[in-house]
Amino acid sequence: MVYSNSGSIIISVKELNAWYGEKKALSNINIDIKKNSITAFIGPSGCGKTTLLRCLNRMNDLVDGFRLTGDILLDGESILSKNRDVIELRRKVGMVFQQPNPFPKTIFENMALPVKENFGNVRREKLEEIIETNLKAASLYEEVEDRLDSSALRLSGGQQQRLCIARALTINPEVILFDEPCSALDPISTMKIEDMLMELKQKYTIVIVTHNLHQASRIADEVAMFYEGQIVEQASTDVFFSNPKTQLAQDYISSKFS
Amino acid sequence: MNKKKIRDLMGEVMSWLASSITIAACLGIIIYLFNMGHAQIDIGFLTNEPATTLETEKNGILTPLVGTLLLTFIGTLVAFPWALGTAIYLSEYAKRNNLTETFRLGIDVLSGVPTIVVAIFGLAVFSNPALGFLSSMVEGVQDVNRAFGRSFLVSGITMAVMILPFVIKTCEEALKSVPDTYREASLAMGASKWYTITKVILPTAKNGIITAVILGMGRIIGDTAIVWLTLGGTLRMTGVQPWWRPDNWLSTLKNTGSTLTSYIYFMSPAGEGHQNENAFGAAFVLIIIIILLNLLTDFFMGSKEIGK
Ligand SMILES: Nc1ncnc2c1ncn2[C@@H]1O[C@H](COP(=O)(O)OP(=O)(O)OP(=O)(O)O)[C@@H](O)[C@H]1O
Ligand SMILES: [Mg+2]
Repeated sequence: MVYSNSGSIIISVKELNAWYGEKKALSNINIDIKKNSITAFIGPSGCGKTTLLRCLNRMNDLVDGFRLTGDILLDGESILSKNRDVIELRRKVGMVFQQPNPFPKTIFENMALPVKENFGNVRREKLEEIIETNLKAASLYEEVEDRLDSSALRLSGGQQQRLCIARALTINPEVILFDEPCSALDPISTMKIEDMLMELKQKYTIVIVTHNLHQASRIADEVAMFYEGQIVEQASTDVFFSNPKTQLAQDYISSKFS
Repeated sequence: MNKKKIRDLMGEVMSWLASSITIAACLGIIIYLFNMGHAQIDIGFLTNEPATTLETEKNGILTPLVGTLLLTFIGTLVAFPWALGTAIYLSEYAKRNNLTETFRLGIDVLSGVPTIVVAIFGLAVFSNPALGFLSSMVEGVQDVNRAFGRSFLVSGITMAVMILPFVIKTCEEALKSVPDTYREASLAMGASKWYTITKVILPTAKNGIITAVILGMGRIIGDTAIVWLTLGGTLRMTGVQPWWRPDNWLSTLKNTGSTLTSYIYFMSPAGEGHQNENAFGAAFVLIIIIILLNLLTDFFMGSKEIGK
């Protein structure tokens, strides 16, 4: 593996194979995710991007019949070992979903819920401070500051998604996983989120699944291309788009950019 | 083309007829009850106890009315946490396997059992001397050591068992209607499963759960068989008098009484009363309670869509 710049590695996936029941979804996946960078997973539909993403915070544990072999290390420690505390793992590895999924509660409560669960009963001023900081980090604060007590479901789709990002930030994760966060959004909301991601990578490590190669080329530092459950090519973004090595990647890029 | 049109028209007319007959029947019953019953209803009817003899002057439905409310309260109080706990288990924890399927089948069967069967079961169980503290012991009969097995407590618990399958199923549906995306969102931010259930799922399903409970209450209010067997056939309260004094409440609960439904039976020609007017008066009050409950469910059902 050749990397254009050397950052320290935060997640390391080793020889991962995964199955849904009898159906194999991932074969022999090896990939390192660098700290404070944006890694994009791309590839045609059904090739296993979401599956790998959901392995990284063990959300696939919830799927009946899912199993895997191989290992995933976070900060050098296996996240798959039996005695690994899944709740603590998910605090370190946050997730934002394709469909914005705020709770049917007020904006304030949406933000307060993870704080209260993870840090116990914090004082009201502290809570408000955390909420304000993270809403600002998700560049949503100005739009909602005077209606924190109205239902989160009344926000626009783009605002809801930024709320979900802000909510994921409240628990200070190290890594945030994004599964096609912009696919349900209009171009302007998408731009806002892309700008935000570029900001967030100062503090967090970001892994993003996207179907939009323009998006990947705009924001990602590293790209991994999936095909039928395997990673067929991974490289830094510049190299990947200017000089793809495999035929599959070349075809995929040209079909998407033409 | 024409044939299709005729078929369409026929279908419309038939379904219109069917629903008109239903509506007419429902309205007819309510209007009939109103006609027969409304003359009875005044403050005296609602606040007097049923007369002991045939002095029709001071005949009222106070104790049956209170009995209905008491039973509903006890039954709901017992059934609700029990049903909600079971529903949470079924919807959030139970894996899909033979054991849970058997469990579900059991619940389905129980919900189809006629209430008179639940009633004899309740009577049998609560006649056990070990459970005598819920009613009273049969005294003064030689060689008999068993509980009386009839009281508000016994009847309330039996009512709870009767509505349990229904409330479990409706609560479970309410929980299942909460989209999985909420569960995932919560778990993905490091929340424990229990926190997810109490802070995200239950609040979201709240209106559905309340609706389930109110519908369960309706079943208790309308039941007669369980009252008949496990509350006994006394129109008045049989505990220490006056039954309404706060320090006598335990005695009232451990003794027998009546409800609107058993009162109606007594007053009807089938019972001993031959006081049809009173039966209709009580029936009218019963209908009004049911209508109020229905309005309440409409209110909660209406706001059941998530997040309103
Ligand atoms: N819960 C599941 N149960 C069974 N099979 C699944 C499940 N989720 C995904 N799969 C299968 O695993 C394979 C990989 O799916 P995955 O969702 O990871 O693809 P993806 O790359 O994210 O696709 P998309 O771009 O459409 O989101 C697919 O063939 C899919 O049908
Ligand atoms: Mg996907």
